[in-house]
Amino acid sequence: MRADVVALALMVGAATWAFRYLPLRFDLSGLAPHGWLSRLLAATGPAAIATLFVASVLPLLRGPLMDQGPLWIGCAAVLGLWVWQRSVVLATLGGALAYGIAFAGI
Amino acid sequence: MPQSRPPFLDGILAALPIALGYFPIAFSFGVGATHAGLSAGEAMVFSVIIYSGAAQFLAVALVAGGAPLLVAAFTLIAMGLRHLIYGPALLKLAGQGASTRRAWVWAFGLTDEVFGAALGEMARGRARFSEPFMLGLGLGAYAAWVSGTLAGALAGGGALAGYPAVEAGLGFMLTALFLALLLSILTRAHLPVIAVAGAVTVAVTLAGSATTGILAGMIAGALSGLARRAR
Repeated sequence: MRADVVALALMVGAATWAFRYLPLRFDLSGLAPHGWLSRLLAATGPAAIATLFVASVLPLLRGPLMDQGPLWIGCAAVLGLWVWQRSVVLATLGGALAYGIAFAGI
Repeated sequence: MPQSRPPFLDGILAALPIALGYFPIAFSFGVGATHAGLSAGEAMVFSVIIYSGAAQFLAVALVAGGAPLLVAAFTLIAMGLRHLIYGPALLKLAGQGASTRRAWVWAFGLTDEVFGAALGEMARGRARFSEPFMLGLGLGAYAAWVSGTLAGALAGGGALAGYPAVEAGLGFMLTALFLALLLSILTRAHLPVIAVAGAVTVAVTLAGSATTGILAGMIAGALSGLARRAR
C-alpha cells in the first residue's frame, strides 16, 4: 500500500470529519452572515462542485457530436430524477443507468 | 401500550433506502479504483477513512493522474466544505437542548444523503432527533458503502470488460454524482459563483491542464463569492 495514498486519505478524511463535526461542537451561527469568512465558506462548496462537474464533463465533450448522445441523455436523466424525487442517490444511479442504456443503443 | 422501537433501530431502518443506493455506487468506486491502478486495500482505505463518494472518485482520478499530494488534498478538502452547513441545519430542526455529546462519533457519517434523510425523517415527523438515531442512520449507510467498495475492489478493474455498456454507465457515475450534488445545493445566490467557477475551469483546462483548471476554477469561484457582496 502506497504511503502517499494513505496520507491523502488521512488528510482528506480528517478534514471531512472536521467539516461534519465542528459546526455541531462550535456554533457557527455567531459568524456575521455577510462577513468575508461566511461568504467565502458559502461560495467555496458550490464553486468546488461546479468546477468538478465541468472538469468531468469536458473529456466527454471531445469527439464528434454524434457520440455525445449518452452524455446529454444521462444529464437529462439526472436532472429529471432530481426534480422528481430530490434524491442525490436516485438521480446518480438513474443518470448512470440512462447513460449506459444510451451507450448500448449507439 | 405499544412498544416503540429503540431510536438506534429506527436509524438503521431509515438507512435502508440509502444503503440500497450506496452499495452500487460504492461497487462502481471499487471497480473504478482498481481499474485505475489502486490496490483493493487502497480503495478500502479511501472508503473507510474518507467516506465521501464524490471526494473518493476524484481522489482516484487525481492519484491515477499523478497529481501532487498537496494539490490533490487541497482540491478534495475544498469540495468537502459543503458539509459545514449540515450540522447547524440539523440542530436547528432538532430544537433547543439537542444533545451533541457524542457527535464526534456520529458526525463522521453525516454524508449528503444521511443529512438529507435525517432532515426528511424529522421534517415529516417520522423520527425525532437523538444521537442513537443519528448513529444508526450513519452506521447503516456506512456499512453499505464499505461493503460495496469491498465487493467492487475484489471483483477488480477487469470485472466489467465483457460488458461495455455497464462499464460506460459506471464511468458516468462520477459526472452524474457531481451534477446531482450541484442540483442539491443550487440556489439563485450561487448562480454567479457557479458560472465563474465553470467558465474559469473550461478556460484554464483548455489553456493548461485539467488539474490547474480544477484549482483555478475553485479559487475563482470562491473569490467571486467575496466580490458579490460589496453592494
